[in-house]
Amino acid sequence: MLFIDSTNFERLLKKLSADGELYVPVLNKETGRLHIERVTEFPLPKEMRLDGFRTVDPWKGAAQMLRCPVANYPDDKSREISEEKFRNVVIVGARACDIYAFELVDRVEIEGEFTDPFYKVRRDKMFIIGADCTECGESCFCNLLGNKPWPEKGYDLNVSSVSGGYIVEAGSDKGKAAIEANKDLFSEARDEQTKHRDEVRSAVLDKLEKQNRAFPRAEEMPDVLRAALTDDVWDEIAAKCVECGACTNICPTCYCFLLYDMKADGEYFQRISTWDSCQVTGYARMAGMLNPRARLTDRVKHRYYHKYDYLVKSHGAIFCTGCGRCIDSCSATIDMRESFKKVSDRVKAGKR
Amino acid sequence: MIENPYYPIDSVVEDIITETPTIKTFVLKPSRPIKFKAGQFMQLTVPGVGEAPFTPSSSPNVEDKMEITILRTGKVTEALHELEPGAKVGLRGPYGKGYPVDKMKGKEVLIVGGGVGLAPLRSLIYCLIEDASKYKRISIKYGAKNPEELCFKRQYDEWTRAAGNVDFTNTIDVPAPGWNGRVGLVTTLLDDLDIDISDSIAVSCGPQIMLKFVTLKLLDCGYEPPQIYLSMNRKMSCGMGKCGRCNVGPYYLCVDGPDMCYDKIKDIPNVFG
Repeated sequence: MLFIDSTNFERLLKKLSADGELYVPVLNKETGRLHIERVTEFPLPKEMRLDGFRTVDPWKGAAQMLRCPVANYPDDKSREISEEKFRNVVIVGARACDIYAFELVDRVEIEGEFTDPFYKVRRDKMFIIGADCTECGESCFCNLLGNKPWPEKGYDLNVSSVSGGYIVEAGSDKGKAAIEANKDLFSEARDEQTKHRDEVRSAVLDKLEKQNRAFPRAEEMPDVLRAALTDDVWDEIAAKCVECGACTNICPTCYCFLLYDMKADGEYFQRISTWDSCQVTGYARMAGMLNPRARLTDRVKHRYYHKYDYLVKSHGAIFCTGCGRCIDSCSATIDMRESFKKVSDRVKAGKR
Repeated sequence: MIENPYYPIDSVVEDIITETPTIKTFVLKPSRPIKFKAGQFMQLTVPGVGEAPFTPSSSPNVEDKMEITILRTGKVTEALHELEPGAKVGLRGPYGKGYPVDKMKGKEVLIVGGGVGLAPLRSLIYCLIEDASKYKRISIKYGAKNPEELCFKRQYDEWTRAAGNVDFTNTIDVPAPGWNGRVGLVTTLLDDLDIDISDSIAVSCGPQIMLKFVTLKLLDCGYEPPQIYLSMNRKMSCGMGKCGRCNVGPYYLCVDGPDMCYDKIKDIPNVFG
């Protein structure tokens, strides 16, 4: 196992991001939380942190841009959107939940009959440096999904914070090549460093298990949801929702988008893809004002069912990573874990 | 270069046929032929306004031109109805599975349409009639609000003359002056079905509320859910099972439909909205 000190890590980032964009988690002193920031010049921000837990904002924007032009028309070669327009992106400090989210959304955007070329090119040009969680947030529940608070795959490099620097592991050929090309920046990790890393890992996992003990595990939920399809417990859960759409915007596995067209210069037009939220009234509305999910309860339910039932059937996985961002961001203090407990209790009570 | 599925193929409106006071058929010529199966849909772009999903109403055996029959009902369709021949539009697709034509071979096919819902069905009707001997029977039942709103009026005789095993019956919702045909909702045409139901496949397209009552009626007549195919109404945008708004339970209509076997969706609450 390798070790890199903080000074050399900065050198490494400088090299890796030389021909692209670099994003790191930075501590905001007011909120006491990590936020994603773009680094445009070195040295790195003093408040960059690779310990603690996930950033407030999700990393999905690195693959699925908030607002992405997807077509210029009518046909004109000079206006084609080419791969060269997309830059390499190095993201640093993505946590296990964030990395797993990329893996899930890849199933929708890349695998299968249709590939979204803009998502794919961003993913291809992405270099992911993951990081262990050395703490967990109150809303974190990755353990309920059976996941660990440290990345096990899906990263190019992963770092574990230890005194004076990081233990580094490569998780891909790109990662191995990066280490190979910068050998002089690394040294062998000492046994006490790896021991420290392992202790922190298991302490965080223990804490997660403790704080989520009362809630149902994710694997039970698809069956629970299927049994609660017409239960009025959903009205109770939806009653608090203020329809702001924060939960879907901040969710790393929410990938739905809106396509719209606008006039560009001259005789040309542009088609744009932008994030969208199934929680807002007009999302599924059709021409003639027909709306299959006009009721708030149906929209709130839709978010839970899409993630924990429909996508299990269509893409083979629960599309939730347990990052807890939807809990933190909810103005109405709706906690997905509590919702699931409520529904699960209701279903169990009904069976008795 | 990126292979871009969001890119609309430049197309020209060659002709516009007024079918009813609210429905027009647009004859489109794409800059390259587009091959589609009956029931698959296209995203039609009005430059600068946006795109909306439509199933062609023309024969899938014609590739260089495509007809799309459209009811004026929303932003994109309003803009379409304002177009003149020669206008430039865009097409991308086809998307979706299309009608289960293979399952119809050798069977009595019952086609139930309402209003502009006959448009996608016309593509199927052409497809079946052009190969009529492969099907035991092609029985078309159609309902519209009033005589003016009967879509493709000039063609009904053409269809029944095309082959001996084609029949067509229509109705209007409420009596109208000068109308001597049947009166009543389209479901009333299913009251006296002379079809061998056990050997039949039914397909229906129309407003959601009509689909609901047609389905109930068909079940009443003895159809089993696997024999019923419905053109479900949802907003379809990307066409590739990604943007998310056309969910019906675990299905994305744009890739799994838009025609869904009723057996797959029957247990979904409020499936008819």
